[in-house]
Amino acid sequence: MDNNSQSSIGLYKNTFLAGLWNENPVFRLMLGMCPTLAVTGAVKPAFTMGCCVIFVLICSNIVVSLMRNLLKPHLRIMMFTLTIATFVTIADLILKAFLPDMSDALGPYVPLIIVNCIIICRAEACASKNGMFISIIDAIGMGLGFTLTLCVLASIRELLATGAIFEVQILSLKESGGWFVPLAAFSMPIGAFVTLGLMLGLINLVSKKRS
Amino acid sequence: MQDKIKYFLKQSWLLIAASFFFGLLIAVTNASLKERIDYNLNVYKYNKAAKVVLPEADNFEEVAESVSVKTNSGKELTTSVKKAVDSDGNALGWAFICEGKGFADKVQLLVIVDNDFERMIGYGVLYSIETVKYGDEIRFPEFMNQFKGAPAGGFQLSKTGDKTIIDSEIVAITGATITSQAVVDMFNAFIPQVKEQMQEKGLI
Repeated sequence: MDNNSQSSIGLYKNTFLAGLWNENPVFRLMLGMCPTLAVTGAVKPAFTMGCCVIFVLICSNIVVSLMRNLLKPHLRIMMFTLTIATFVTIADLILKAFLPDMSDALGPYVPLIIVNCIIICRAEACASKNGMFISIIDAIGMGLGFTLTLCVLASIRELLATGAIFEVQILSLKESGGWFVPLAAFSMPIGAFVTLGLMLGLINLVSKKRS
Repeated sequence: MQDKIKYFLKQSWLLIAASFFFGLLIAVTNASLKERIDYNLNVYKYNKAAKVVLPEADNFEEVAESVSVKTNSGKELTTSVKKAVDSDGNALGWAFICEGKGFADKVQLLVIVDNDFERMIGYGVLYSIETVKYGDEIRFPEFMNQFKGAPAGGFQLSKTGDKTIIDSEIVAITGATITSQAVVDMFNAFIPQVKEQMQEKGLI
């Protein structure tokens, strides 16, 4: 393997891994806070939201990357928004057609992906400056980073609020003869803020220790 | 003038072309999924809720397409009334959709009342994104069962009481008074008005 291919592989690897840790959209860039707080009451909606974001990120990054040389600087944000809105609408239609119950559960938060900063940020920071392949890798990395974060937060909240994860009962509830008393506050907005705050603190602590 | 048009087109051709292309893409997606989405909205959710409330029902025949109802907030809504029939064609009751404002968003319920509009058979949730463990409890038997067999309409909400007693007094979900009140208000507004219009039409 020559030096060129090695450095390309290294670049792809770093781009992919950046979204998972160093540039994690939620814990590092503090982007996409609206769905992070709103749909993490349970793992199922959080996972679905993550999949929608991955789909929109990949599609919009491909389109933006392909038209990057044609973009006029003063019209680029408009083009990004148009592109993102198209793929969000498609994702919303697909959800309504194939997962109607989940579409209801997510409510307005799917259409709100249009104004999710992660997607516009990746279009501006990566896709409009790089080729299609690296833009796709960036989209997958960022999308997975966002989805994993949402799922971790949702798992903690669902477990503490209902004793279950992915609707599978893990902790034995007191009302059915067990020991666990559900902390309903974790299914509410306050639980989202507390969990996110604690997770951010933990991530910062780990990062500090590592550096 | 021509220069201005040329400048405009030079600057914005990509935006115009992209708008057409993306519009077409959405139109194609919508056209290919429309049938399924309409089915989900009108039939799937309705049947799913109706089967839970009245499992004996084999079919729901539409008898009144647009019955208008004035809600407590003064909003005018329309609903359609369907007759629930069993496999032998016997009428089991009337079903219609109620809508009202909950805590998080609107709440849409499918209500089924008996043939005389005297007692409720029950209700099913068609749309609700109320808070899990609080307002969302309207989906669960503890709250729902209070309406099964209760007099249709004239409900009153109370914060305490025995939930197993079937009467007009409905015990609210703890921590979700707004949602509980919304359900009670919805039934109190819809049931008498739908009944009145059904009587006017000579259907009951």
